[in-house]
Amino acid sequence: PGAGAALRPCSSRVAQDGVNKAVIDRIIRVDHAGEYGANRIYAGQMAVLGRSSVGPVIQQMWNQEKSHLKKFNELMVAYRVRPTVLLPFWNIAGFVLGAGSALLGKKGAMACTVAVEESISEHYNNQIRTLIEEDPEKYKELLQVIKQFRDEEQEHHDIGLEHDAEATPAYSVLKTAIQLGCKAAIFLSERI
Amino acid sequence: VRCQQYPPLRALQASAALRAASDEHKKEPWASSSQQHFESPPAGHQPEEKPQGPQPSYTGQGGQESEDYESEEQLQHRILTAALEFVPEHGWTAEAIAEGAKTLGLSVAAAGLFHSDGSELILHFVSECNTKLSELLKKEQKLVQLGEAEKKPIDEFLRDAVEARLRMLIPYIEKWPQALSVLLLPRNIPSSLNLLTSMIDDIWHYAGDQSTDFNWYTRRAVLTAIYNTTELVMMQDSSPGFEDTWRFLENRVADAMTMSNTATQVQSTGEAVVQGLMGAAVTVSN
Repeated sequence: PGAGAALRPCSSRVAQDGVNKAVIDRIIRVDHAGEYGANRIYAGQMAVLGRSSVGPVIQQMWNQEKSHLKKFNELMVAYRVRPTVLLPFWNIAGFVLGAGSALLGKKGAMACTVAVEESISEHYNNQIRTLIEEDPEKYKELLQVIKQFRDEEQEHHDIGLEHDAEATPAYSVLKTAIQLGCKAAIFLSERI
Repeated sequence: VRCQQYPPLRALQASAALRAASDEHKKEPWASSSQQHFESPPAGHQPEEKPQGPQPSYTGQGGQESEDYESEEQLQHRILTAALEFVPEHGWTAEAIAEGAKTLGLSVAAAGLFHSDGSELILHFVSECNTKLSELLKKEQKLVQLGEAEKKPIDEFLRDAVEARLRMLIPYIEKWPQALSVLLLPRNIPSSLNLLTSMIDDIWHYAGDQSTDFNWYTRRAVLTAIYNTTELVMMQDSSPGFEDTWRFLENRVADAMTMSNTATQVQSTGEAVVQGLMGAAVTVSN
């Protein structure tokens, strides 16, 4: 006998104030993963270049990333978002990328910073666009946070350029490779 | 001038058609979508259709329309809820659904709206239980926030939540193994998994879990295992008041706590060892 409209029961996850749970879920999950990865990248860079002349610069950028991560931890709990299952992987991959790029020298570390921060800024801009298209009023707080973080990541990008990132040997190859990796990381973290 | 009374144009619900057939005439009910509009129904006019006795006034018509109108989903929901009463006797079957439909004044053919293996009935039941559990946990949380109750330690909280949820199975316990096997059908796995994971997530949320790292997964996996194994133990438990099951549950939760304490200890021991080695290395190099 033909069944009627198939019932797809699931426990009602009542969205707080009609928030688009699916969109917010993705945004917070991937941003949390991103800040976590950025933390690990700077940790890797500090492990190699901590005592060099760029140590303080990297430390300062790292501190900002730490505060970003803290903010996303709070948002994750507030919106009851699941963290990406790939976190342990980003833990290691981030550290390896940071340390690896730092072993190429100070310029190498800066090149890595430039590549990553450029990817992240673009990614934040996309999210800002998405949220504004959805409902700028409803997501005002989140938009504020993302805009502020995007501005700070842009600053990191500029600091990297100031410190001769572009003078790194094989700069464009390195940059492209890192940015491809970032795109893949973003794609995966949004979904799993 | 005589006032002519026109038959009200109303959204005809599927139930109305089924109700027409449920009386003496066993008419074949046509699956009418509740969106169709008709004049007053044909032969077999039934007085129960008008919730307010005599013909309502012009203004009352609008109110009546919104009261009468229900979506197909709501109708299915009502039928399944009514069917639960008959599950202990008939199992999770079309018979139970048919009996449930009868109590609502619908035709037994209403069972044709659903799969014959009772999938929707079981999923509906699980969803209802989960909702009840969430409400219970939310109420408890409110009491704690108001200071009217003590905050339970984690192991006690988890134990009580799982026990409360499993107790909802007791009236249906004879037929529950059948339900479990239906829930494992490939067709039902996405829904049943979804229901299970959101229930476990709810319990952890109200337990106060705020992890944002891989612990999020570890904790949910552990609790899911505890829940599933306890459920299976309960199926075979014949002790009075299921005390064997609750004792099993208590032991499993205690095991989980021990495991997590051990893990923390191992981690801090590991960190201490690393520091010790670093110190030794520095000493040796000097």
